[in-house]
Amino acid sequence: MYNDKNSKKIVETIQNWARSHSVWVLAYGTGCGAIEIAPTMTSRYDAERLGFRGAATPRQADVMLITGYLTVKTVKRVVRVYEQMQSPKYVVGFGSCTINGGMYYDSYNTINLLDRYLPVDVYINGCMPRPEAVIAGLAKLQQIIREGKANGAEKYLENLEWYKENQRKIAPNWIAKAPDLNW
Amino acid sequence: MREKATTLYLGPQHPGITGNMMVRLKVMGDTIVSAQTEVGYLHRAFEKLQERRNWLNSFTLMCRFCVPETDPMENLYARAVESLDNIEVPERAKYIRVMVLELARIATQLMWYAGQNGSLGLYTMGQWSIGDRDYILDLFEQLTGGRVYHMYQWPGGVRRDLPEGFEGKVLRTLDYLEKRLKDYDDLMFSNSIFQKRTQGVGYVPKESIIEHGVVGPVLRGAGIRSDIRIDEPYEVYDKLDFEIPTQEGSDIWARALVRRAEVHQSIRIIRQVLDQMPKGEFNTSIPNPMKWRVKAGDTYVRAESARGEVGYYAVSDGTIHPRRMHLRGAAYVHAITLLENILPGQNVADVSAIMNSLGTCAPEIER
Amino acid sequence: MKEIKDKMIAQINAAFPEAVNKAYDGNRLDFTVHKDAIPGFLSHMKDQLGFRHLSHIAYVDWIEENEFELVYLLWSPTDKVKLFVHTRIDRENPVMHNIDMIWRQANTYQREIKEMLGIDFPDMVAPDEFILEDWDDIPPFRRDFDTLEYVNRTFWHRPGREDAQDVRETISKRSGEEIPDFAKKYSR
Repeated sequence: MYNDKNSKKIVETIQNWARSHSVWVLAYGTGCGAIEIAPTMTSRYDAERLGFRGAATPRQADVMLITGYLTVKTVKRVVRVYEQMQSPKYVVGFGSCTINGGMYYDSYNTINLLDRYLPVDVYINGCMPRPEAVIAGLAKLQQIIREGKANGAEKYLENLEWYKENQRKIAPNWIAKAPDLNW
Repeated sequence: MREKATTLYLGPQHPGITGNMMVRLKVMGDTIVSAQTEVGYLHRAFEKLQERRNWLNSFTLMCRFCVPETDPMENLYARAVESLDNIEVPERAKYIRVMVLELARIATQLMWYAGQNGSLGLYTMGQWSIGDRDYILDLFEQLTGGRVYHMYQWPGGVRRDLPEGFEGKVLRTLDYLEKRLKDYDDLMFSNSIFQKRTQGVGYVPKESIIEHGVVGPVLRGAGIRSDIRIDEPYEVYDKLDFEIPTQEGSDIWARALVRRAEVHQSIRIIRQVLDQMPKGEFNTSIPNPMKWRVKAGDTYVRAESARGEVGYYAVSDGTIHPRRMHLRGAAYVHAITLLENILPGQNVADVSAIMNSLGTCAPEIER
Repeated sequence: MKEIKDKMIAQINAAFPEAVNKAYDGNRLDFTVHKDAIPGFLSHMKDQLGFRHLSHIAYVDWIEENEFELVYLLWSPTDKVKLFVHTRIDRENPVMHNIDMIWRQANTYQREIKEMLGIDFPDMVAPDEFILEDWDDIPPFRRDFDTLEYVNRTFWHRPGREDAQDVRETISKRSGEEIPDFAKKYSR
């Protein structure tokens, strides 16, 4: 039943609809933006009414918030955590520093373009983004999940070589071996 | 039976860790044998960047040092530049600065209420106190335009005067908070689980205090009455009447009681500030920021943040760029040597609570 | 305050005749000490003169004079006096004495100095890496380390940023607007 084209489409639509209403956010405050996650998740803005809630471990999480700048040391951990997460998985870039480096564009220890190292589905602009902006960004993520366009994880697997090469450029000693996804 | 010690990595991706840092624990069963902190996940090299910016541009980096508490850092920068360049600040600006600093202190303590209780599993408090903290952030937003990063206390005064009717709003917020603090007491301090999990846990020995350069609520929780607002009064703290709460226990419980009393003292200070605030200028004119050459020299200014002493060493060589700016964070000593010193013998489940009660703030350690 | 400071200066000069004092207003005391005298000087300050609190160890790179400067910032809780202890280290051969047996937290400060400036502390016990990981360039807080050049070599910039050096001018150029009079004086 699943094999013919139409029912596959129907099943995917239902899956995407269901996924968009239960998005678990990985609790990893990678940068300053983590301070606005607390108001977003608690009583005033209450993102849980949209289906967003925290997940403690990567294997239970669906979306990873990159809250602000990433230092070289953190990128390695973030990549590792991202590869531990199970598909479907999404990345939200949070704040100006993930887009173009923001005010740390000339710092030797922070990366400037997040999308060279990880596939980003949604960017949220601002330094720092207000909780309303975060909710708007998360709602946008829900929308593209429903439309089936949030395919960052597939992009990552397709272009794995390119991403790994970029990651190796900043961490030459870290990923010396061939790409290995079996963490 | 002899057990083998196991290595346990706490963080950087861990819901119990404060910020983005890591503690490597050696555990035997549930007991910690040794601990080693690893930081550097948030190093942005601010001090290097400030050498490349001019004196006003590098000011905008200041508030990003410690995200939960941004205003003491701005205050430090402003006072450092003023003391290097001999700028007189108008009286009204000083009162406004004290008001902002104390509001920030309350906001940080409310954040701490959430973190401390979250680390012990009392999540209701997080819902309450983060929601109440937003009332203060709303005040900041009206005053400065930003919720978290304010960039308000710049050299020479403050950026804007108080908006119309702002005093009334502050007073209404304080009244509301005072009412809420009673609820917090009922939920948290008279909660027997909270008492059992904090009393006698995270004990900081008296001899460690001098040896490790302990500051802030941790110091006052050990019975030593020390506060930079009294010891080395800055702005107008010498004209205000407030108490420095101390406790004897030197454990998480004692530090929690100190912080609770500090919120009440901050409310008292803001009421006095609004009472005494003079009319007049809020800003002195500073030179064109693009061409501003601060007089050569060095200075070290200190302030009391909600987590303890923060200090700022600034060197100018008479050019348009700062020569060297160096921040001493309150968490710098607490989260590394002191934490490594007090963790052995504690339970693994208490690590997160201990880190919260020491006022750990990861972005401030590595800057 | 003046009397306390004068008394302290006399005491310090008696114990350390080679320490150079510089006069400052307020509660600031300022001494310059040779680097070999630092451990003795600091432990004397801590035990005899009541400077019990080591606030910080600041560091400056004076590349023009080919020297590093370390500033030990001490605080006396009883007399409410701040003490600055300056010392200079040769830039070619940066070795300094360890003081973490006097104050334990100096260990952290020295680890940072070792990593950011490359000053070696031979008898300090600490892990090699502190903040940076796998760093293979010169220590980053030296003045001759160019951070923008390093960024251009290691990371990428998103296009559209290079012309935005002066925000006001860029906006006026893109939208064809005049720069208002009051803003002209702030324009470069």
